Amino acid sequence: MRNVVLGAVSALVMAAGAAVAQDYPTREIQGIIQWGAGGSTDTVMRSVTPHAEDALGGTVVMQNMTGAVGAIALNYVADADADGYTLLMGAENPMLYKVMGLGDRDYGDFIPINILARGTPILVTRPDAPFSDYAGMMAYIAENPGEVRFGSTGPGGLPSVVTAMMQTVEGELDVTFVPYDGDGPALTALQGGAIDVMPAVLGASIEGIRAGAMVPLAIFDTEASPFLPDTPIAPELNEGYATYLPWGPFFGVFVANGTPEEAVTALTEAYAAAVENQDFLDLMENRGFTVMNISGDEAQDFLSSWQSTTAWLLQDAGLAVNDPEGLGIPRPGE
Amino acid sequence: MDAFMSFLTVFTQPELLLLVGLGTFAGVYVGAIPGLSVTMAVSILISFTFSWDVYPAISLMIGIYMGGVYGGSRTAILLNIPGAPSAIATAMDGYPMAKRGEAGEAIGTTTVMSFFGGFIGIIVLALAAPLVSDFALRFQPRDYMLLAVLGILLVGSLSTGSLVKGIFAGAFGIALGAVGMDPLTFTPRFTFDLQILRPGISFIAVMIGMFGVSEALLQLHHVNAPAIRQQINRIVPSWGTVRKHLPLSLQTSTIGVIIGALPGTGGDIAALMAYDHAKRVTKNPEREFGDGAIEGLVAPETANNAAVGGAFIPMMTLGIPGDAVTAIMIGALFIHGLNPGPMLMIDRPDMFWFITGALVMANVFMLIFGLTGIKLFTKIVEMPRAVLIPLIMLLSIVGAYAVNNSITDVYWMLGFGVFGYFMRLYGFPLGPVILGVILSRLLDDNWRRAIISEREDLSRFFHGIFTSPLSLVLFLAVVFIFVSQTPIGGWLKRAIFGRAKP
Repeated sequence: MRNVVLGAVSALVMAAGAAVAQDYPTREIQGIIQWGAGGSTDTVMRSVTPHAEDALGGTVVMQNMTGAVGAIALNYVADADADGYTLLMGAENPMLYKVMGLGDRDYGDFIPINILARGTPILVTRPDAPFSDYAGMMAYIAENPGEVRFGSTGPGGLPSVVTAMMQTVEGELDVTFVPYDGDGPALTALQGGAIDVMPAVLGASIEGIRAGAMVPLAIFDTEASPFLPDTPIAPELNEGYATYLPWGPFFGVFVANGTPEEAVTALTEAYAAAVENQDFLDLMENRGFTVMNISGDEAQDFLSSWQSTTAWLLQDAGLAVNDPEGLGIPRPGE
Repeated sequence: MDAFMSFLTVFTQPELLLLVGLGTFAGVYVGAIPGLSVTMAVSILISFTFSWDVYPAISLMIGIYMGGVYGGSRTAILLNIPGAPSAIATAMDGYPMAKRGEAGEAIGTTTVMSFFGGFIGIIVLALAAPLVSDFALRFQPRDYMLLAVLGILLVGSLSTGSLVKGIFAGAFGIALGAVGMDPLTFTPRFTFDLQILRPGISFIAVMIGMFGVSEALLQLHHVNAPAIRQQINRIVPSWGTVRKHLPLSLQTSTIGVIIGALPGTGGDIAALMAYDHAKRVTKNPEREFGDGAIEGLVAPETANNAAVGGAFIPMMTLGIPGDAVTAIMIGALFIHGLNPGPMLMIDRPDMFWFITGALVMANVFMLIFGLTGIKLFTKIVEMPRAVLIPLIMLLSIVGAYAVNNSITDVYWMLGFGVFGYFMRLYGFPLGPVILGVILSRLLDDNWRRAIISEREDLSRFFHGIFTSPLSLVLFLAVVFIFVSQTPIGGWLKRAIFGRAKP
């Protein structure tokens, strides 16, 4: 008898507790980071998540799961139970998997919890290059076909998209593309003179520019950067760029489709509050990222528009493996 | 004066001192377990130390790094399983010493020499960082390619017995390294449409299998043989021994610092190159290389610890990582609100001196922890084989799994273990296989980068080599080492110097 009473009381307490607090999260949440420790995605996720934990009243255990341009992490989360206890913390790459033939899933299989921030592409050169501005570079390329070496990071990477944009707007560029493992090694090579021009994210090159080891040529954004107010923005140099900008790599937190409404709401609120934290805003500003903090339909729209712009740029530059048309990705503006 | 105060930060704050010590201690053991790598430990620490201040966080990481690079030699000597890729060369002479009952001496020498190498690395970092990083930046893709070719010529040094078998093993390693998604174009190579081959073959799994499992299988041949008794009266090498190897250790430390400072290469390649260098310059070793030559321990151990200081050089002066561990540390600095880059030295010189101080302390702790507890460690090899063999298998499986938390890696490891066993049985050396896997990417990527940069024109490529002093030196080194290893070298020598001395 005593046990029954005790059991009933504790059940009641638990139920009351749950009703007062919430049904989510009741246990540890797993956060799967698509990229390696110390990289930009990792830094962003590890900085924002502790603030989200506070807002959520739960713990998120983060783990780096790298490989196959992030597809291993994406598949892992997509295959886990859609219960809100497995988060995907990733960058823009999955939106190109289908076009680049790297997989048949993308963020369309996920619900965006928050698109945290985006990076700004910038074109940099080395101080001893035979040109020091965008127009000079274009003229030099025209006069010396094949001579200028651009760094790249493989098809689908930021440099390939930026150069595709340049080729669409300016016409064919007769330059040599030298592939590197990532923008870090390529920017190193730029400083050593192994390449002449590198399209990179602002955050990765800002310290080098400050030190005079790299020279900015153009910022690929619709507004001038507070870091480099004197560097021209691409639409000023050629109006054609306006169609494609703003464009940039982004970071986001996702859960698989079919995750209960309640969990999605709790997570969305938690991350929205976390992004507003001053420490995080400072870190993003320092690294040259533009904070977005969007979720729900707004995030979905952003993702589909990003995908259509990028996929068609790559298709028109002849870099796409699968035709976006066949994948049902509409041409931008259609 | 400010610089000096920052340098002393670690020494004056007991909390930081404790963290460096703790890190070094943990590092020695993390490093000793194959598969648990320093890179992994430091990335775990990033999240663990997220809310800490920057000094304590970096102190702990530096300790782990220094200790871990050294720790890899432990299992290499005692069990013939290198705890880390940078300890491969150490196994080649360390393990034969342990088999003769000289494990204590081997570990002692290794420790003192690691300390020495680590110290040289730190001195270069403190005094010549900007100079070295300028030099490192000058390496073009073709120079990295020449460096890789130079590395591949080490096959001759790493092959005990038949050179032809060594070349086969090296080529096999290079082929293994090429399996998977092409890093430059993302096209699958040698994957035969098998999903399992797409991510490539984990190099650590190959290493653990080839060394660990094959060793366990080989030991089964004489499972009833009595265990080797270890004499541990001579742990710390005498001053005479240290002095005798001083010129060699200075040379190999220099190799370590430079290879460590190059953004594309790390301690593993440094150790192998140093081993080769030692074999080349040591005229009359007391024992043959591969049979327990003390020089074979001195060279790789000074080099891989000197590479630690080297790896910090481009990191601190340019914000460019010198290896995988410093890449993660750069991330850690970002998280703690610093902006690693060429301006860090100007904006926050205290950080540079603090890190130098922490490295010095970690190096001292490494010496202390390295020289204590040797008795306990050598007990491992004294265990009966019925215990030792399952222990090796257990370590190998845990290690292979831990790399990527992937059971596939365990299968690879076991497969290569059995394969490595047969290779050893038929006299094929294993060192060149690992060498090939390590150098495969370096050679492949940089050859392609170099030739693409020259618009796929071979004459422009050679023009580049002959007009750059750096490339020319490397090219001549390749030619010289190649010729000296072939019969032509012998003929030339006789032609120039007359009859070779008997």
